[in-house]
Amino acid sequence: MSWIPFKIGQPKKQIVPKTVERDFEREYGKLQQLEEQTRRLQKDMKKSADADLAMSKSAVKVSLDLLSNPLCEQDQDFLNMVTALDTAMKRMDAFNQEKVNQIQKTVIEPLKKFGSVFPSLNMAVKRREQALQDYRRLQAKVEKYEEKEKTAPVLAKLHQAREELRPVREDFEAKNKQLLDEMPRFYNSRLDYFQPSFESLIRAQVVYYSEMHKIFGDLSQQLDQPGHSDEQRERENEAKLSELRALSIVADD
Amino acid sequence: MADHGADEPSSRTGSPDGKSQVSEDRWLLHQRLAIRELIDTEASYVHMLQLCASDIRSRLHQLSQGDLDVLFSNTDDIIKVNSRLLQDLQETDSREEEQVQLIGNLFLEFQEELERVYKVYCANYDKALLLVESYRREPELQQEIRGIIEAVVPQAGPSGLSFLLVIPLQRITKYSLLLQKILENTLPDASAYPVLQRATSALQDVNININEYKRRKELASKYNKVEQLTLRERLARINAHTLSKKTTRLSQLLKQEAGLVPRTEDKEFDDLEERFHWVSLCVTELKNNVATYLDNLEAFLRFRPQEYDLDIPEGPAGQYRSLARDLQLRAFPEFKQRLEGLVWRPLCSLAKALDGPQNLIKKRLDKLLDFERLEEKLLEAGSVTSEEEEARHTYQALNSLLVAELPQFNKLVGQWLGQILCTFVALQRDLAKQVLQRAENSLAQLPHHQLSEPAFRKLVEDVLGQTSHQLCSFQENFEKVLPPLAIQPLLPGAERQVQALLSRYGPGKLYQVTGNTSGPRTLDLTLPRGQIVALLQNKDTKGNSSRWLVDTGGQRGYVPAGKLELYHVIPSEEKLREQAQPHEDFRHLTPEPTLAPIPSVPTRTQVVAAYPFVARSSHEVSLQAGQPVTVLEAQDKEGNPEWSLVEADGQQGYVPSSFLAGALSPAPWGWNLPS
Repeated sequence: MSWIPFKIGQPKKQIVPKTVERDFEREYGKLQQLEEQTRRLQKDMKKSADADLAMSKSAVKVSLDLLSNPLCEQDQDFLNMVTALDTAMKRMDAFNQEKVNQIQKTVIEPLKKFGSVFPSLNMAVKRREQALQDYRRLQAKVEKYEEKEKTAPVLAKLHQAREELRPVREDFEAKNKQLLDEMPRFYNSRLDYFQPSFESLIRAQVVYYSEMHKIFGDLSQQLDQPGHSDEQRERENEAKLSELRALSIVADD
Repeated sequence: MADHGADEPSSRTGSPDGKSQVSEDRWLLHQRLAIRELIDTEASYVHMLQLCASDIRSRLHQLSQGDLDVLFSNTDDIIKVNSRLLQDLQETDSREEEQVQLIGNLFLEFQEELERVYKVYCANYDKALLLVESYRREPELQQEIRGIIEAVVPQAGPSGLSFLLVIPLQRITKYSLLLQKILENTLPDASAYPVLQRATSALQDVNININEYKRRKELASKYNKVEQLTLRERLARINAHTLSKKTTRLSQLLKQEAGLVPRTEDKEFDDLEERFHWVSLCVTELKNNVATYLDNLEAFLRFRPQEYDLDIPEGPAGQYRSLARDLQLRAFPEFKQRLEGLVWRPLCSLAKALDGPQNLIKKRLDKLLDFERLEEKLLEAGSVTSEEEEARHTYQALNSLLVAELPQFNKLVGQWLGQILCTFVALQRDLAKQVLQRAENSLAQLPHHQLSEPAFRKLVEDVLGQTSHQLCSFQENFEKVLPPLAIQPLLPGAERQVQALLSRYGPGKLYQVTGNTSGPRTLDLTLPRGQIVALLQNKDTKGNSSRWLVDTGGQRGYVPAGKLELYHVIPSEEKLREQAQPHEDFRHLTPEPTLAPIPSVPTRTQVVAAYPFVARSSHEVSLQAGQPVTVLEAQDKEGNPEWSLVEADGQQGYVPSSFLAGALSPAPWGWNLPS
């Protein structure tokens, strides 16, 4: 708006009041920020979901590799433990996939749809800008004729210029009004629009983690693990390590 | 014991009774003395040990805890065992007749414990000595240590620490000698004799076992470390000896492969080795998988979608934000930390512990090849050099070491693996519990929390469908913001072009250029503002959707999409005119306007008459200077641009286009339209 280099052909009087301009820029600015945030949120959500899936897959690999170790054939207890672990991991992976699908449907897709409106908005703003430029140019032309000596050809030209100006001014004002009406409406629509998405996000976590808690809780009990504290576990690890080190065949380092 | 001596003549001297009685008394005396010696020395030994362990050790502040542990090793355990031994020995004093028997039994009882405790001390002794040596090189430290020792144990003399540390070693070897002395002074037919004999040999066995244990430990530590040698060091090590060693091994192996020489099949060892191999595989794979899992967890934690709040401060969005932040700052990092400490680090230690046995197994195989060759040689030659004997013995020692300890190793590793896996599961459960708690809290504050999950999902689907429509309407609204009206009517040629494009492509495909275009590339079109084109493709050959392929009617090429606007073709309000009568006066100057065969599609424009004009026929209208008129068509029925159909003062008719201001200047006289 104000970056237009000074040209001959700029009107003398301010055709668009400063307050109107300010309002417009403020509303549009908010929407530009919203566009950016929507885009970033969508990207990060997707990346987060992908990382989540990768984590789940690597957990499945843990039990898969164990299952393929020949120890399973020799040691029945080992086989039982590893089979139970494998079942649990696979089930968790399936639930995780479901969670991600739900997020895709109820969060990422809506974000995409919301974001797809912005190009049209940006186009409309551009058109308004063009209309403004045309308006300015014709206004300057009218002013030029108004200042000249009023001869017949000048009058004719003045009349013609005024006739040209009128539709352009009306056009600009129509666009301006339309955008000033629609932009805040669109901006505010985000509140209601995204509410279900965020609700859905939270619920998806609840569903997934309840399953996870149940599955691993059961597995924990099945593997006969008493509720040890972290210190106890560390001590157990230390103990095992010293037992190993006590053997001569183990290098002490 | 004295009773027996009275009945039978002593087999030793064969002298008459009187003398044998004296000898017996002497033996008895010696026996008694020997027993006394045993018990008294035990007492002073235990006392000395206690002095070392408590007084001296506690005063050696200059030395680190680790050093002290190496020096004194398991002295405390030794003290425990020997104190009990001492006590039991002293108790036998009250039972004079059976004392020897009791002592014998006592030592048999303690045999195992003594072996267990002393072998550790003995195996560690060399390390302790090295440490003492290192102190000797620091004169100040040496002085201090000596001072402390002298204060407590004056008889230690100048050797100080080493004197003290060797005492347990001396003691354990002394037992068999002391017992031997008692045995010598016991009659062979005494009831206690066999017991004492067994006790004596038992203590000798203890010494042998301790030595063997020490030897194995030395062997193990010689071979179980992977030496990090540089290439140069490796090359330096090659000498005639090592080369010959390796070549003989290789030839032995080849002979085995070729079947010339039987391979020693050791099923027991092979089974152990196989199991070890599987267990190692388990550990390595698990370690790698856990590493990947941790990496993925880290990657997951790097994304923070909750930071983009879309300017929605409260409600479910706010709930989600605080939940996600909480999880990312607390629950997950805690999980990661626990995972690292209780699963990852133990796995690393476990993986490292595999190295030792791995190396020993490899070394054993090498030594086995040596052994087999030497066995052959033994068969052929009947004897081997002492060096070769040493080699044979090394193999045997290695083999028995591995056979003895691998089962325990495998078992321990298996158990530990199981523990680690259980911990992994427990950590997952704890994470789930924590997250669930937090998420359920958030859920309780959501508007639809009382809905079941399937009901909620249906609701969300419906709502999203509705809002999707709403978005579409927004989009449409924005697109309705129209392009600026064309303020100038088109050139007749352009009008025809538009008609042609329209009939070829249809109204939806026409676009108007909103700004002059030109581009560097060969297919970029240079078009003026206002030109009408038809869209062929809304992207270029590379898929770039901001370059559109258009047809101008005359040429095809690319223009930037941003400079194109949908061209709204306004339907004409063409009224069919009658055939115009040519006017003679003007014929050679301006051809008469003729009726057009088909309605054209111009734009209406407001223009102003620049000059007055007098209508000469009913097809024309009169103009006054400055009069505003509406151009209905910028050409006549034949497409002649010199005439325009206008409406002025409510009347319609033709006027010369050049008389209009704002209209495009007509073609120069004599210009003919292409047919």
